[in-house]
Amino acid sequence: MILSEDKKMSEHNHHEHHVSSAGQLWAIGIALTLLTILTVGLSYVEIPAPFDVVVALTVAFGKAFLVCAFFMNLYWDTKFNSMLLIGAFAFFILMVAVTLLDTLYRNDVVPSF
Amino acid sequence: MSNHSQAHPAHLQHHFVDSDQQFDAAKMGMWVFIVNEILFFGGLFCAYIVFRAWYPDLFTQAATELNTVWGAVNTLVLIGSSLTVAMAIRSAQKNQIKGLQINLLITIALACVFLLIKYFEYSHKLHIGIWPGAELYTYEGIDHPLAHVFFSIYYVMTGIHAIHIIVGIGLMIWIYIRAKKNEFGSEYYTPVEMVGLYWHLVDVIWIFLFPLLYLIE
Repeated sequence: MILSEDKKMSEHNHHEHHVSSAGQLWAIGIALTLLTILTVGLSYVEIPAPFDVVVALTVAFGKAFLVCAFFMNLYWDTKFNSMLLIGAFAFFILMVAVTLLDTLYRNDVVPSF
Repeated sequence: MSNHSQAHPAHLQHHFVDSDQQFDAAKMGMWVFIVNEILFFGGLFCAYIVFRAWYPDLFTQAATELNTVWGAVNTLVLIGSSLTVAMAIRSAQKNQIKGLQINLLITIALACVFLLIKYFEYSHKLHIGIWPGAELYTYEGIDHPLAHVFFSIYYVMTGIHAIHIIVGIGLMIWIYIRAKKNEFGSEYYTPVEMVGLYWHLVDVIWIFLFPLLYLIE
């Protein structure tokens, strides 16, 4: 009885959870701080119209990637959870795209405005 | 492994094979909740994108009323709190219950600092007449007939984010109380990890709100 229990335990061989080192976590924290300073600094630079948003969003996505991969542990996690996150983002893009197909091509923006 | 008694650990629900399966199931559930949160905030970001595409001048003019310095400070406060929450999880994983408690308390304190700064930002705006909605909005410092639209978007997005911060503080107080009762350790820290995931999500949302609201000159 005990033997079979033991066998069952070892079959589901206890995979270790990833434990980040304190240095790793601090490195991510410092990187996020530097990227925040960078994005604030870049906001004072005159960048022509569409590209200022592109630059700001690129930095924001970089920061979000660091948080998701190393604070939320997706880097060491099962790929399924990453797929959920990417799927959510894909559906967000779909929602925005379909909405813009309407709102960008109206003659009258909103009649009552 | 060898020292384990054959009895189930107290935290293990009977419908799971083992603690690992229970942990992975909880984590996947949390990620599904995060998907829901992303699409919930996604609707608000969608509104932002639609109105910004319609009135680009409105956004660049109205955003000058937002204080970049306080927005940046709050960004750093949230990044710091994300770091301490990650450290709290690490402490739990290494059985350092004292460290878990201290990191949770620092995180709660940083969350309160965020809300305090937000409170000062809101009260200053309300004081000079920047209210959400056309009827309540009385500020005349922005030369755009739809200035109130920008601030309606601002109040709804940052307000719902602030509600998430308040919920997060409540969750972390709950985790702190349970940690004090010695309920967590390297064998079982699932709730700490899940609240951590929630807190990081709140941080990620702010990472996008900050440049989109505060950093458009």
